[in-house]
Amino acid sequence: MGATFVVLNQRSNMMKTKQTIAIIGATGSMGTAIAKCLAQASYRLLLMGSDENKLQNLQDNIKQLNAAADADWLLCPIDASWEADIIILAVPYIAEKELAPKIAAVATGKIVISISNPITADFTGSLLPDHTSAGEELQQLLPHSKIIKTFNTTFAANFGQPVFAGNTADCFLAGNSDEALQQTAVLVEAVGFKPIITGDIKKSRTLENMQILLMQLGIKNHYNWRAGWKILHD
Amino acid sequence: MFEVLFEHIDKKITLTKEEENKLTPFFIPKKYRKRQYVLQQGDICKYIAFVEKGMLRSFQVDDKGNEHVIQFAPEGWWIADNYSFLTGSPSSYDIDVLEDAEVLLITQTALEEMLQAIPVMERYMRILMQNSLISMQNRIACTLGSNAEERYQGVLKALPNIAQRVPQHMLASFLGITPETLSRVRRQLLKNS
Repeated sequence: MGATFVVLNQRSNMMKTKQTIAIIGATGSMGTAIAKCLAQASYRLLLMGSDENKLQNLQDNIKQLNAAADADWLLCPIDASWEADIIILAVPYIAEKELAPKIAAVATGKIVISISNPITADFTGSLLPDHTSAGEELQQLLPHSKIIKTFNTTFAANFGQPVFAGNTADCFLAGNSDEALQQTAVLVEAVGFKPIITGDIKKSRTLENMQILLMQLGIKNHYNWRAGWKILHD
Repeated sequence: MFEVLFEHIDKKITLTKEEENKLTPFFIPKKYRKRQYVLQQGDICKYIAFVEKGMLRSFQVDDKGNEHVIQFAPEGWWIADNYSFLTGSPSSYDIDVLEDAEVLLITQTALEEMLQAIPVMERYMRILMQNSLISMQNRIACTLGSNAEERYQGVLKALPNIAQRVPQHMLASFLGITPETLSRVRRQLLKNS
């Protein structure tokens, strides 16, 4: 596993041309957490939200964390996606479905990261039947984009502190494009998690249900949002 | 988003509506802001870019830090480091944005798939390659044999409003002359007209 880290680090250091990442829903709890972590890495960030004051505050916070951070904000999801190499939809499942057709034309050929979990309002289960997932639905809505399911098994509170009892939390990835999976794994590692590529987008079904289970266990056992998944192995 | 590309293609071949619809998913639409890099020296050039709006340029930086402009690409032009794109070797060029731009990017894999899906595009690409060879040969001949005035008039023929759109030192660098010489040539041409 150590070898994987080395390879990813080498790859991320190799590229000099900065990639632009649009974070749609940047002022939400997950969007903010992802933005603050990515601001430490060598990416250009486009923070997209609906509240100018919140966006300006987030940009100011990011600059305080890293004066050299390259971050800008804007209000239009289409313009943000158009400028981006990678689009992170840091929004809930229903909002993700509404956004997809709006950005489809400018998201062609790009990595689109889906972090959502289609959980019911009372946390009792999934809104979707067993034979599909939010990740697969998004891939159908954006057939010409490379959908990657990731960051859905990590809570916002864990960004910046992804280590639990000495273990770096795993962050799982699923998608149909190998190249997109590799590129996103570099990004996941830059944020501090250990990337684990699980397979094609159908694996989203398992990944989304894993987080639904973790939410239910968190409520039952009072994890206080400080919990994550880790595969233990020799 | 694809207007200028379709216009450019239409000057060389005819695409049906169906072929136009087939074509668009092969391209990555991307907006860039002025001064942003599209490619940096040392990275592999993964895309060729078609400029729908704005202006890009490619250039090399020598050991002393001097920039040498290779190409200007306003709307309707293609730009890439072809050597890096075709061989997968690290690029010796930088490509940056001189005016806010909207471009269409295509990877080598997507290009191959596109040529298979829309065979008539092979002819378009062949014409592009021919034109590229002609302009490269002209540029070498110009650099070796033409004087500053001829070079300047040559670039104005290919890019009529270039002098109004790029700083004088970049245009001089493209022509392989000093900004002072370019100034003198422009004054002389103005006087003669």
